[in-house]
Amino acid sequence: MPTELPYAADAEDSLSYDELEVLRLQYQKELSQAHVTIQTKFNFAWGLVKSPLRDHQVEGVRLLQEIYRAEPTRRRECLYYLALGHYKLGNYEEAKRFNSLLMEKEPANLQAQSLNQLIENKVAREGYVGMAIAGGAAAVGAILLAGLIRRATRK
Amino acid sequence: MAPVPSSSSTQQPINVKLLLIGNSSVGKSSLLLRFSDEQWLPEDESSATIGVDFRVHKMDVNGKKVKLSIWDTAGQERFRTITSSYYRGAQGIILVYDVANRESFEALPRWYSELETYVSSSVVKILVGNKVDKEYSRQVPTTEGQAFATRMNSLFIEASAKTALGVKEIFRELVEGIMDTPELWDSNAKAGQTTAHGNGGVPGGVQLVGGEQHGHSQDGGCAC
Repeated sequence: MPTELPYAADAEDSLSYDELEVLRLQYQKELSQAHVTIQTKFNFAWGLVKSPLRDHQVEGVRLLQEIYRAEPTRRRECLYYLALGHYKLGNYEEAKRFNSLLMEKEPANLQAQSLNQLIENKVAREGYVGMAIAGGAAAVGAILLAGLIRRATRK
Repeated sequence: MAPVPSSSSTQQPINVKLLLIGNSSVGKSSLLLRFSDEQWLPEDESSATIGVDFRVHKMDVNGKKVKLSIWDTAGQERFRTITSSYYRGAQGIILVYDVANRESFEALPRWYSELETYVSSSVVKILVGNKVDKEYSRQVPTTEGQAFATRMNSLFIEASAKTALGVKEIFRELVEGIMDTPELWDSNAKAGQTTAHGNGGVPGGVQLVGGEQHGHSQDGGCAC
């Protein structure tokens, strides 16, 4: 029976505004009481990373970095969501770096493997686009150059 | 224009969303891996699911093409708030316990109460006693699992992701149950019940779970 490759559902699926607000309000409430639990911070960071908005993703990655440093028992999920966050931000080198740290610890982790594939695919595609842009720029350059030469030779 | 006759080969598949829930280490991901890839990872190689994992699987049930989206949730307590956001719109639920782990069976009422909170009552449920390959250390008799499932209005099966026993049947019986409940997937069958990303009378959406829950409200209604 045909199956499709697993993929990182969190890469495309985001929370509704209200859902993210629930997580934000809890975080801000604890922040105002000067004691934010790791759980609250992690939940909010996860919601931010899932968001389609760049500002949210940046903030989510920042919070995850803090949790990663502060809480060794949460490292594996932080690595995963840091990789995901950087992937969504287009920082593919960073994404690969965090994801490979997770894969080093858990070589058989299928979630990390499928995220890795997602990153590699994106890098390859952007590579082609990059080449196409470079190719296009070269073509435009050649036309401009031809024009300059023509103008120069007309004089 | 004459209506185009629909044959099963050209038919759009029916989309069905399934959710795997249950305590950590009962074998939710292993059941899914066995079902979708016919593989099995030994315990020392498999790792606890982070948040949620997702797979798509196509199958034919009673002549209907069905496309399953299967959401495999993390069982660990720390992911409970996160996983609660994936219940919305599920049409079938696979509740898993480990027959060699009494605690995972005794945790089931809590999982059922999560269902009450997040999904509509017409959702089809199947209770799965996994790891029957560990017969020598069984802690939950088959009859007890069956009786509990009946009480909870759920289908019941015992299975082993390791030996593949009963695994296909879990998904087949669940999807057949869903096909027998057209209101879950046929928008013409019953108005006012949506199973897509709408509300459908379902109090879905992320909710804070655990000790962190104090004085938040997401009842909406106010556009503030």
